[in-house]
Amino acid sequence: MSAKPLRVKITYCAECGYERQALDLTQALMYEFGSRLSAIEIIPWESGSFDVSVDGDLVHSMKREGGFPEHATVKSAVRSRLGSAPTV
Amino acid sequence: MTLDRARWDTGMTYDAFKATMTRNQDRFSENEARVALDPETVRTFKSLPKGLRVLVLAEDWCGDVVANLPILGRLAKEVPTLDVRIFYRDQNPDLIARWLNQGKYQSIPVFVFLDQDFRELGHWIERPASVTARRAQERKKIFAAHPEFGAPDAPVDQLPEDVRVRLQADLQQMRENMVPFANAEVQRELRELVSRVAV
Repeated sequence: MSAKPLRVKITYCAECGYERQALDLTQALMYEFGSRLSAIEIIPWESGSFDVSVDGDLVHSMKREGGFPEHATVKSAVRSRLGSAPTV
Repeated sequence: MTLDRARWDTGMTYDAFKATMTRNQDRFSENEARVALDPETVRTFKSLPKGLRVLVLAEDWCGDVVANLPILGRLAKEVPTLDVRIFYRDQNPDLIARWLNQGKYQSIPVFVFLDQDFRELGHWIERPASVTARRAQERKKIFAAHPEFGAPDAPVDQLPEDVRVRLQADLQQMRENMVPFANAEVQRELRELVSRVAV
């Protein structure tokens, strides 16, 4: 497992009412990775955004990919950076 | 989807919607208080030969609802023959499915103008295209004037927090400055819509 602190940032459009999706993803990451993440930062933004970055890498962008991210996609991105095996 | 008297009566009046708001109620009231109704708008709606029903789809968290629904609310106060009923979008999926933006987006607010027999005469969604375009222009200017904000389409989470906060403040100020233009454009589009469809 990587000793490097891993931070996830979720930027969501507050004017679009995307709070639930941001919180659902946050919860999923908390349950899956717990203290293996150094922080999950939730950034209220605008312009129809829903972006997720892991360790500075943009792993999902609503404008780029369209829609909300699959939780599995984000978890996989975190897992690969942690160097850990999937939790069943 | 059947829209009839029984369904219509399940909608909220404008004042009832305001009373049920759990978010943005202050902003909504502020926007309502500063709406400058163009006399031409009032005249256009008052001159319609018959009263109109206006079905509205909305949610209280939505910025475009908070910005634009007060314009309709103020207009309805001036034009008693305008009967407004508001339905929460997320509680009425059959209604929003009928008035999707570009056939795919659940954009709100939706204003659907109906005759007394619930036949649709026309509808209006979200905000004027002219407002979206002007916002995009102004946004570009902000980024051009502040290289520290990075590229307009770059993820904002890459910005240092203090820079991000300044960017957010500038964007909010830009939207604030655009309110008179945006309100005038909404009224222009509503006037044009009812002038086209009124019988």
